[in-house]
Parts: sequence; C-alpha cells; structure tokens
Amino acid sequence: MEYEKAYVFRAEDERPAKRQRTEAQGLHTSWKTRRQAYQTVWQTQKEAIDTKLAQIDDATVDELSTFLGHAVQTPYVDRIPTGIILQGADGGCTALTQLTKRLDSAKRRLVVLSSSTGSNLKAILKTLVQKATRADIGVDEDETEDSHRSRPNATKLLNYDLQILHNFVIEKGIEQVIVTFEDTEAFNLEILSEVIELLSCWVDRIPLVCLFNIATDVDALQRLSKTAIKCLDGKLFDVAPSGDAVEQVVEALVTSGSPLWLGAGLLGMALERQKDYIQSIGSLVDSVQYAFMSAYYANALTVFLVQPRKEEVTGDYAEALRALASFHAFAEDLLKRRETGRLRELFNDDKQVYQLAIHHIEEGQRALRRMIVAVRVIRTMQQNLPQTATSSLSNLYTQAMSGRLPGSTLLRSLLLLAKKVPSDVSVALLEAVLEVEGFGTVAETSRPLLDQLRDLISQQKDTAQLLRSEDDVKNATLRTTVVAQKVELSKQKSALSEQDKAYTSLLAKIASMFEQYFNESIVDPKTLLFHEIFIYDQKSPYREVFTPRPRHAIERALASPHDYLDCDCCAPDRDGEEATLSSTQPPTAILYQLYLESGNLINASDLWQAFQAVIGDEKEEAEAMALFQRGLAELRSLGMMKPTRKRVDHVAKVLWRGL
Amino acid sequence: MPKRRRADGTDADDEPTPQKPRRSARKEAEAVASPTIPVETPSKRKSILRGTPSNVNGTFTAEPTPKSLRKVLFTTPAKLEEEANLPTQETPTAARNDRSARRKSQRTLHKDITGDASSGEDDDVRDEALAHAILGEDDSDDDEEELELAELPATTDTPTKPGKLRGRPKGRRRERTPSPPPDLPPHELYFFQNRAGGNKTSANALPSQLLLNYEEYFAQVSAYQDSHARDIKRLQQLHRRALDQWKFELEEHFNICLYGYGSKSELITHFAEHVHQQADTAQKIVIVNGYTPGLTMRDVLATLASVVLPKSAKLPAQPAAMLDYLLSSLSDMSPSAPVLLIIQSLDHSNLRKPLAQSLIARLAAHPNISLVATCDTPTFPLLWDVTLTRQLRFVYHDATTFQAYKAEIDAVEEVNALLGRSGRRLGGKDGIGFVLKSLPENARNLFRILVAEQLALADADPDPVFGAADGEDELDPDDILGAEDEEEAANEQHTPSRRGRGRPAKKAKPAKPPRPIVSGHEGVEYRTLYHKAVEEFVCSSELNFRTLLKEFHDHQMIESRKDAVGTERLTVPFRREELEAILEELV
Repeated sequence: MEYEKAYVFRAEDERPAKRQRTEAQGLHTSWKTRRQAYQTVWQTQKEAIDTKLAQIDDATVDELSTFLGHAVQTPYVDRIPTGIILQGADGGCTALTQLTKRLDSAKRRLVVLSSSTGSNLKAILKTLVQKATRADIGVDEDETEDSHRSRPNATKLLNYDLQILHNFVIEKGIEQVIVTFEDTEAFNLEILSEVIELLSCWVDRIPLVCLFNIATDVDALQRLSKTAIKCLDGKLFDVAPSGDAVEQVVEALVTSGSPLWLGAGLLGMALERQKDYIQSIGSLVDSVQYAFMSAYYANALTVFLVQPRKEEVTGDYAEALRALASFHAFAEDLLKRRETGRLRELFNDDKQVYQLAIHHIEEGQRALRRMIVAVRVIRTMQQNLPQTATSSLSNLYTQAMSGRLPGSTLLRSLLLLAKKVPSDVSVALLEAVLEVEGFGTVAETSRPLLDQLRDLISQQKDTAQLLRSEDDVKNATLRTTVVAQKVELSKQKSALSEQDKAYTSLLAKIASMFEQYFNESIVDPKTLLFHEIFIYDQKSPYREVFTPRPRHAIERALASPHDYLDCDCCAPDRDGEEATLSSTQPPTAILYQLYLESGNLINASDLWQAFQAVIGDEKEEAEAMALFQRGLAELRSLGMMKPTRKRVDHVAKVLWRGL
Repeated sequence: MPKRRRADGTDADDEPTPQKPRRSARKEAEAVASPTIPVETPSKRKSILRGTPSNVNGTFTAEPTPKSLRKVLFTTPAKLEEEANLPTQETPTAARNDRSARRKSQRTLHKDITGDASSGEDDDVRDEALAHAILGEDDSDDDEEELELAELPATTDTPTKPGKLRGRPKGRRRERTPSPPPDLPPHELYFFQNRAGGNKTSANALPSQLLLNYEEYFAQVSAYQDSHARDIKRLQQLHRRALDQWKFELEEHFNICLYGYGSKSELITHFAEHVHQQADTAQKIVIVNGYTPGLTMRDVLATLASVVLPKSAKLPAQPAAMLDYLLSSLSDMSPSAPVLLIIQSLDHSNLRKPLAQSLIARLAAHPNISLVATCDTPTFPLLWDVTLTRQLRFVYHDATTFQAYKAEIDAVEEVNALLGRSGRRLGGKDGIGFVLKSLPENARNLFRILVAEQLALADADPDPVFGAADGEDELDPDDILGAEDEEEAANEQHTPSRRGRGRPAKKAKPAKPPRPIVSGHEGVEYRTLYHKAVEEFVCSSELNFRTLLKEFHDHQMIESRKDAVGTERLTVPFRREELEAILEELV
C-alpha cells in the first residue's frame, strides 16, 4: 500500500480482540466524565465568545446590508456600486460570513473571488460565472448545463461569457449579484482593472455590486487603472480592529463562568502571539480551546471541577491531590499552626481530601471571580480619573493572574490619584464604581461615603466652586527661601475652606476603602489551595502545538540524535556537551554533521571518504555506500543540499544549522 | 613529468582489466589537462605565469612541477620553496611597494566585479605567496608533514595520489584549516563558510562504480542491521502513546500535522488502525501517499469521492469542481462520522503547488473531514499563508521517528540526480533489456545496429580508452578543469560526451595527433544509422525511423547531440563492456 497513490484504508483483521485494552486504568478512568465536562464547559465558553465577537461586527454588517439594500433599489447604469471593507490584517472574513447569513440567498448571489482563482481575465470570469450560476445544493449539475442549452435559439456560449450570468439573472429573477474580492491586494491589479472595466459594461443589465476586502489601506486601490477607478462608486466600511476582538474574547473568558481559568503565562503567550503575528481572531479562540482540551485531557484532577461519581474517584486521585504543590504548602502551613491532627486526617482519609478539594476549588473560584470584579473596578477608576490611560482587560487580567497586581505601581498611583481629585470627579468615580456588577460587598461601606460626599457638596454655598482636596498640587505652592545661604524649599498649603478640609478627610476615607477592597479581593492565584486544578497555566503543549519549530526539530534530530533516541551508544561524553560525531550514530546523522562542517560547496567524493572514515572500517564498502547514498538522498529531499553545476561531483549546501 | 609519461605509455598495453583503462584514462586526462590551465581565465593565467613560468613555456625541467597540477586539483594555495624564491620574490614585493593601498583595493574590487569567483581565489594565492615570502620558510617543513598526514586518508583511492605526494610543495595552510573556529554562532558560521575564496574543495571525483545501482542498493539496505533498532522502536512506542490524544484533537475539529525526521508511514498506519479499532461504526479512512510520483489532486479527490459518494455518481473533471461537488455532498452527510483523510508528505513537490494546497485546505476546513498530514521538509510552514493556515487549523506534533524513508525516497535516483549522473537512470543494461523486450522487433533491430555501430566506431578509434565508454568517468577529470568556467560545466554535467565540442582549445593543447572526427564516444551519425536501418529493412521512412528513436529517447537509452560540425550524433550512454553484453543479448 505504501506505493499506491491513494487508497481507502482497510484494517487487516476486522475488529480484533485488542479492543479491551482501551479500558483505561488508574487516573484515566475518569476521562469520559472529564470529556463530557470539557464539552459542556467549552460549549458555553464558545457561545460566549461567539456572541461577543458577533457584537463587534454587528454595526459594520448593518451598514453593509443597508448599503446593499440601497443598491438593489436604485439601479446603476454606468458605475458599479462598490463597498470597500477595511478589515485590517485580520484576514478572517467574520463580517462577510455574517453578511452571508443575512442575505436572502434566493434573490441575491454572493460570489467570493480570491486571488488564487485565476491568473488571467478568462479564468477569473469563468469562476465568477460558475460560482454565480451554480445551482443550489441538491440540483444535479447536468441539469443546469441543460438549462443553458435548452434556452430557445441560444447559441452555445463560452463558459466565461457574462451573457450566461445575464441569462441566469433574468431567468431566476436575481436582484443582486455581489462580487467579493477576498484578498484584493493579492490580485494582479492589471487583471483586476480589466475585470472591473468589463463588469462595468454589464452593470446596466446585471445588478452587480462589488465588495473589496482590504487588509492594508485604501491606497491599495489607487493602483487600479484610471478607467477602472472611474467605473467604481465606492463606499468605505471599517471593520473593528482586531485588538477589540481580542479584548472581547478575554471578556468572554472571564465572564462565561467556566470553572476553568487560564493562567497568566499561557494567556500572555497566546496574546503575545496574537499581537506579534498576523493571526485571525480564530487562532486565539483555537488556542483557548486547545488549552481547555489539554487541561481536561491531561489533568485527571479536573474531574473535581464537576461532581464526580463516587465509583470513579479511586485512591489514585487522593494520592494525586496530595502530590500537588499547593497541597504541600497547605500541609506545611498546618504544621506550623500545629494542626497535626487535621493533617493526619487528610493523609489517612481519602474522603477528607476530596471534601477539602471540592471545598477549596469552590473557594478558589470565588476568589478569582472577586478578583475579576476588582479588575473591573480598577478599569472603571482608570476611566474616571483624569490623566490615566485605561489598561486593557487582557493586560489587567494577565497581571492579576500572575499575582503581580497587589502592591503594583499601577494600583498605588491609582490610589494616590484618587486622593487628589476634585469633588465632581470623585462623585462620578464613586457612582461609576458602584455600577460595577459584583461590587456589592464593598458597596455597603462605599454607599454611605457617596451620600456623605453628596451632602458635603450640597452644603457648599458657592455651587460653581468645586471642592478641592488638600493633596491636590494645585492647592499648594512651593516656596523657596534663602536662609543663611541655604535654599529652603517649603510647601505651603493654600488656605482651605472648612468644606475642603472635610472633603479631604472624606477622600482619604474613600481611598482607604478602595485600598482595603483591593487588598481583600486581589489575591495571588498561585497561593490558592488546589489552584493547579482550576487554573490551567501550562505553556508546554500550547507552545509545541501552535508554534512548532520543525526545522529545529529536524536539525536537532540529525545533529544530536541521542536527544531523541536516548541510546547508550551515542551519549555525549561529558555532561552538558553536545554529542560529537561518533560511528554509532545513525548514518544520516553522521552525514549531516559532516555536512555542517563543510563550506557552501561540498565535494561528494571527500564527503564519502570522511563518511567512510567515521562509520568505521569494519563495514564493507558496499554497505557503507548504501548508507551513504541513503543519507545523501535523505538530506537532499529534506532540502538541505542541491545539485550544483559549479563543480563536478559537488553538491551545494542549502541550510545552515540554527539560521 | 615522469609520472605522466609512464601513464601515457603504459595504459594501453599492460593494464588489461576493464577497470584499469578507465583509471589511466583519468590519469591521462588530468595530465593532459593540467598544462591547459593558462587558457582558462585571464586571472588564472596570470597567477600561474608568475608562479611557474617553466610550465607555461612548456619546457619541462628535470625538477618535477607537480604544483600546477596540485593547485588545480586541490586548489591548495601552496607554493614551492623555489617558487617563492624565484620570480615571485621580486614581483609581489615590488607590487606591494609601488602600489598604494587604495589602488590595490580598487584593483581587487574591480577584479571581483569583472572576474568570476576564481579571481578571489587567485588573490588568495598571491597573498599567501606574499606572506610566504615575508615570513620565510622556517616552519614550512612541519606544515608539510602535517598536511600530508591529513590528506593521506582522503586520497586513498584516487589514482592521482602518488604523483601528488611526491614533491609535494610546501604550504602554509595552518591558518586555512577548513574547520572554523569552534563555537561560532550560526550566522557567523554562515559567513565563514561563504566567504570569498574561503571555500576550497578538492577536485576529487567520486568514482562512478562506487555508487550502487538499485539491485545492489536494495540488497545492502535490506541486509543492513540498524544498531538503533531498539531505540527507534522505543521512540515509536512513545509516539503511539499519543494516539488517543490525537484522536481527541481530531474529534474537536482540529487537524493534525506531524513533522520531524524519519518516515512516519508506520506511525500513520498505526494511527489508522487505532482509529479503526476504536470507532463504533465503520470509520472511513483514506490514505494518500503524497510522495508517490505523479500524484495529482485529482487522484486524491477521486479516492475521497469513492468513499463519500455513491458509486454511480459522476464526477466533474476539474479538481476545483470535483472539490465543490465533494464538499457539497459532505455537507449532506451526518456530522457524526467525519472521513479521516491522511496525507503523507503533504509538503512533497507533487502537492506543493498553491492550487493543490488551497484545495486541501478547503477540504480540511470542512467539518466532515479530519485531516492528518505528515510533513518532512524543515520549512513546510512556508507553504501556507494566513488564510490557508486558518483553514487547515493544524495542531502540530513532533513525530521524529528516525525510520528510514523507504517508500518516500528513491535513494539511488536521488543521489544520481544530486550528482548529475543521468546515464544510470535505467539501472544498467538490465533496464535496457527490459525495455527492449517490450518493444517490437524493428526497434530491437535498430538498437542492435546502433550498438554494433557504436562498438565498431570505438574499435576504429585510435584511442580505445575513450571508446564508447561510460560517459561520466571520462568526463570527470576533464570537467574539473572546466569547473571555473561555470556555464560550460553546467552544460556539460548532464551531457557527458559533449566534451569534444565544448572544449576544442584544450584538446588542441596536448601534443597528440588530432582525433578523427568520427570517434566512438562521439556517437553514430544520425544519417549513417538511418541508412543502415533502411538497408536492413528495419524501417522504410525517416518518420518511421524517428518514431523508433523516440521510444529509445523516452527511456533514456540513447542520447543525441550535435557535434562541432553540426551533424546529429546518437550514443548509447553505456560502458563498453555493457554495450558488448547488450549486443550479445540482442543477437
């Protein structure tokens, strides 16, 4: 079968008895439960993300569809109505797919052309006509062809003739044909110009609309021919930048109420990748999904995130729970507090551990949710305070999850600033913060503060005058005096009214209230007991799976095969040293290392000599030659060397290791 | 040059084995070739003029002058003691004195621009001579010994070795060791290995009988016991532990891409079996071997269609239309049982075209298709742009297996192509016999005539060594000289016996009688062969004759080229012994 081009796989023996082997043991027994748990969790998560993402594009899609609707009603004669969609580097046509959903497909035709559809006018037109006239699913292709022919007194038309489309439009009563150019920049612009000019000739007969997806800038269209530009009647649509989409995904992540949280390291990496490389938002969603998958697949303890059935939870799980680092810390803490009895209980009684786990997982979840609220409070404060940039939710979330937020400069400056604000800002700030959902626990203390503040303002006689804080720099003047040839710098508070003083003390109360709130609600997630279960923060499978380094893998396999084979014979001599050339290594690896040593041109004969010398004399020449040939062939098909015509019997080096 | 004379004189008589004449031929070719260096490139000539005036004049002094030979063959810029002392001693110093640094650098620049790569080497040679002259020869003795030791194993089977070792010129190669300073960062290594004139390789040619043909190769490979078999097996076991995980990933609508060194076909088969066993209902699995020669997208889609569509369904002809049809019927399928599509070597040149990749990506994007692909090359992610990556939705797994690419790589053919040896493509005379058996009587007769003619011509040739002999071998030493002349070499590499036409100047150089125009290795004249064929009633018209020849051409049994005068000549690119054997079989 190896030499067949393509074949349908048939197992040699039908359903062998091996099947029982799949019955899992140990920690794997709960995989079914975990899988179900994963599916429900991811389902809700996905829906949350989807709705958030759909909201972003909604406005643009609305605009687009009204534009298209308008185009239907007003017939164009000379120019093609054109929508230019600026969608950034995203590449994913989320807006377009949503548009497709809204379109009434019976009366409107959407044709998506990508730059790969054809390299000449004929090919593009052919695809256009084919896609536009394609019958809906279910109708056999022959029928549609027949329908072309069966038209009375119709001559057989060439398949790229727009007349076919015209006939089709009349026949089916199509209201609109929307031609979308998926990747406008990638098109050969000369050909695109020709297509546009040609389409404009038909616009009086076929109700055409063009949509251009543009990743860079409208200037890309300037390079179309002048006549082509004249044929277009363009309108610009701006799709939300992808940064917003990322925020929406994070928003969905933290609000969906899923029992699994993504850790700072992992999410930070995914976000960084999203920022650094041009990726569609879908790839971030993929990363998140994969993180959920790996969490549930690889960590058997995630079974505690749902209510596990009793028979599933065996002693192994208790052992696994006890092996967690956070449990170790907890145990040590118990010892310090001399609660040895409790600890002994936990060690001896599996049930106790389970209860502890379930309890603390819930506890941890609550703590994390509180922290998210705190993050929101921070953002609200940033929005309301002057001269502060609002941090993005993703940024704050990763900071909070990494445990860097308590005592950070961000928080401190925020609190300092809160002490300085004039009364109008502080009122707005408090009001806005009280709006934040879940702030309720602190609201009890903060609501009276707000009331006091309001009272204070209403007491003021001159309502135009704002109350100022004592800490406000505007209320202090710096004074320099020279006393005994020394400069003295003294800060003098300007005279404050009684109200101002009262206001200052109130502000101090408010600030301390916030400080206390933050201290309570922002925790370091790493200190939570059993955080390993409900926070997934493993970079490892994510990195390998989404950002593979195939070249490095191949180079490493060939340069130090011991890393993969873990054989005794090729182990490096000294610890930490890279394996050196030795006769025991796989032949291709030897050849590759010789290849690395040589320059950009390699003499095949000398390479052979060297190879033979390394591989040892005990091997027959023919055997060594077979291995040599195999190695050469492998290196060639791996794209490492190529034939050269510079010198006879030489090969050219193509890849340098590590470049 | 006693060595050369001996070679010239003796090879015809006292070396009766078939192997030996070839060797001496090489020797002769080298010897013949060496004095011709001066006509190569102007820069080259200059250096040699300065270095070895005696050589150019053609007056062979008693002192052996192997250095010219050496320099060309090995391109080690070593200089003889005498050489450095004699004319060179003045010239470089004088040159150094009277030339300003600026002028010199300009000159070098100019040379680099106008001249080819060899001029750089030339400069090196001169510079080294200069350094040599300045530093004196104090340490050259040790150097020489060192060098000889180093070279000894490398040249064991090249026939030119004895000549080289004797009277070996002293050189200062200490600072020119081919191995770079240790622990260079990759980019430094790149520049080190690409520096101008830095890459000096020997001109040794790989004797062509060393390369195994299919038969020998497979015999050796199947007999070969890999000492790592156990470790490879363990690696395989490691990968197999991930099968469940992969299955889970596929079920979550990811597609899988396996990369890494080693053939993954066994692993893939395991995976297919695994999926098959685990499936409750019959799982549809389609395996595509991307490496099979001549694979097209149509094959892939047709096989897939045979699984997805009812047998009676009529498929459109164009791959794109096929795909559309397939996708629409896939959408009708129940989403519970996606078809598992396994493509091995997705990055193989068969599937590397953008169109094929975009078709595959569209397939992979469909929820009812699960794609498992394997990729072998290190740079495969470059195949896909953002859109394709998005559609493919790959999760990547390192599946380094260290298993031999048995089916994927045709090692013998790859190596032949790599080294530019085309004549062996058929795998020797057996292959020809095989082809001839399937051809009509007339074709066999024609081939017999051609072979007989070629042999006859070879016998008539005053220089039987070159006879209808194996093209590559006679070519190699000759071509080395032409190596500087890149284009020429390029033309020649695949057409060995064009030598006669390509380098008339060189042939004129040795004091030998000019060859008869029709010599065996030049092949049989087209007209002559036609007339012979007509005489023997093999064919009646030229059209007929052409048709027969075309068949040979298609199987690369003959090569055709025009000689210096412009007449077309046909050759069977085989060694004399093989030709004789073929003729015997045919008669």
